[in-house]
Amino acid sequence: MTSIPRRASRPVLAAAVISTFALALGACGGGGGSGDSGGGDESVVIGYTGPLSGGGAAYGENVQTGLQMAVDDINKDGLEVDGKKVTIELKSLDDKYAPSTAASNAQRLADQDKAPVVVSPNAGAIKAIQQINDGRSKFLISAYTSDPAIVQADNPLTMMIPPNFESYAKPFTEQGMKHGGKKLALLGTQSEYGQQWTKAITDEWKKADGKIGADNSIDYATVSDFAGPVSKALSEKPDSIFVGGPSQPTALIMEEAKKQGFKGSFLVMDQAKLDEMATVTKLENLTNSVGVLPVKEYEDPGTKDFLKHFAEVAGEKKVATSETALNYQSIAIIAKAMEEAGTTSDPEKIRAAIPDALSKVDDKYKVNGFPTEISDEGHLVNPELEVTYLDKDEKYTKVPVEQVSDAK
Amino acid sequence: MTLFIQQLFNGVALGGVYCLAAIGLTLVFGVLRIPNLAHGSLYMLGAYVTYFFLTTVGVPYVAAIGIAALILFVLGVLLERLVFHPLRNSPHTHHMIAAIGAMFFFQAVAQAIWGADFRRMETPISGSLRILGAEISAQRIVIIVTAVVVLSLLTWFIKRSIHGQTIEAIEQDRTGSALVGINPAMVSMLTLGLSALLVTIAAGLVSPINLLSPTMGDSLNLKVFAIIILGGLGSLPGAIVGSFALAIAETMTSTYISSAVGEAVAFIVLVAVLAIKPTGLFAKAVQR
Repeated sequence: MTSIPRRASRPVLAAAVISTFALALGACGGGGGSGDSGGGDESVVIGYTGPLSGGGAAYGENVQTGLQMAVDDINKDGLEVDGKKVTIELKSLDDKYAPSTAASNAQRLADQDKAPVVVSPNAGAIKAIQQINDGRSKFLISAYTSDPAIVQADNPLTMMIPPNFESYAKPFTEQGMKHGGKKLALLGTQSEYGQQWTKAITDEWKKADGKIGADNSIDYATVSDFAGPVSKALSEKPDSIFVGGPSQPTALIMEEAKKQGFKGSFLVMDQAKLDEMATVTKLENLTNSVGVLPVKEYEDPGTKDFLKHFAEVAGEKKVATSETALNYQSIAIIAKAMEEAGTTSDPEKIRAAIPDALSKVDDKYKVNGFPTEISDEGHLVNPELEVTYLDKDEKYTKVPVEQVSDAK
Repeated sequence: MTLFIQQLFNGVALGGVYCLAAIGLTLVFGVLRIPNLAHGSLYMLGAYVTYFFLTTVGVPYVAAIGIAALILFVLGVLLERLVFHPLRNSPHTHHMIAAIGAMFFFQAVAQAIWGADFRRMETPISGSLRILGAEISAQRIVIIVTAVVVLSLLTWFIKRSIHGQTIEAIEQDRTGSALVGINPAMVSMLTLGLSALLVTIAAGLVSPINLLSPTMGDSLNLKVFAIIILGGLGSLPGAIVGSFALAIAETMTSTYISSAVGEAVAFIVLVAVLAIKPTGLFAKAVQR
């Protein structure tokens, strides 16, 4: 007879466990929500959906660090909107780099957490979120991607943070040819973004009467040995090589190329950051290359303090990249725009207040080429954009960039 | 011609790495009859544990690989005890789900401990050799030599030693082996431990020319599965031949056709083999 109660006890136990969890979760949710009822203070959630696990996790975490640093600094300074003290809370959700997950995360952040702003660091995800941010629920997308298709989409609630990557093609070509020669080998990464870059560089290089070898693009994430692809690219005897994907594999490719005797110049795609690359190889292996300017080379008023603060948060060994720095700046812009607009809940008013907010942001938030204007399409513009050439003496020389239009 | 020789060496070195990884996987399939989808994440953990001993603790390179291999052996035994053994009488889908679960678990653990960033493992082996005009780095030569030595030892172990012979016996006939006094549970543990040990050696060897990340095992996982299916599931010679064939095919197509085709060639060959000889190149007698 004992067998009957034992059998029955399993589902009962399972139900008990599940309901305990459900209750615990419910309690957590309630706890978070009750924050805004106390003492007249308001709190506002800024949402973030990015890759926090899987292959893109390092990138997603860099962005998250910048956002969190900004939120902490702004809360410490004290934000006041429409006479009320407001606390910003960052809520991060993992989308594993999948646009569909990013869109449902964004929806959740907007509906459940009433987030007026959602940050996303991936062009595909942003395109998916743009389908839902201006309909039933409204929220501003803080878009960290240099793909101009984001602003070409004509979405009134998108703020594009970094410069358009197409602007880099011209100075890269000029510097690459000057320090290398007319023949370019393509050894970029096979991601969608990498292919766009390869195309932009190819077009510009041809326009400057250069010669292009075969497309040797490889998938930086899956290739287990870089020696093969590098040997192949070098067999064409190029004067310059276009490389670039995540910093660390890019560094290994350049190291391998130098080891195999390459003496020409490198064009380093903006995804790879020269100073971050130097964490896995010697800087001398990365010389004679043109790339984006490392954060530490910026001379904005807040750069030094930002770097110090970053080292405290992330550890001395980590290098602060523009992913962290630009997202740090953009949260400061959004907070100032909320203050100017006098609302934390109306994304349209917040967006409309950004042009005024730009000039009023405190100097300490200006760390990485602070934008002075925002285009009608929603692109933040820093008119003094520069790239850098890393010479044989391991010194960075700044090169001004003439920016191209975002229009198609 | 120089390019050809260069790439041939690169291909053989890559083949050595694939081989050490694939043999463990095929042994596990032979003994436990399960596709261990967590194999790639054992490779990843092996690399991180080696990295930990080499960089953080500061023991010499070879010792770091040795210690890591032993730790992973224990982990492999635990994986068998805690995950696969309790499921031994359940349908096969349960094993696969459990293995995928283990894979995600290991990845999450690695990310929690070492972070999501790429890491580089420095090696004391540097310099390169000039062979027939090609520049071959010393690390690659070490990979090739180690692979040959480890494979010889393994062959001796399985063919000559008592414990090794029990592995082969169980592969051939589980019930029969149990009847003559071999303990299948012990052999299962030994096999999974051994597969984790071998894959750690592969990881320790390849890490210096590659980068560590929590997802580094994913692409290897796919390729070694292609290799053991190609060679015939459960077959040792099949895994060895398959590894080198695939690695050389991969480097050569990347060199002479394109990298995209090189990445896909494993699967093109796989489809071709499955169409012509579905049991793989070195098919074993099907165990009942």
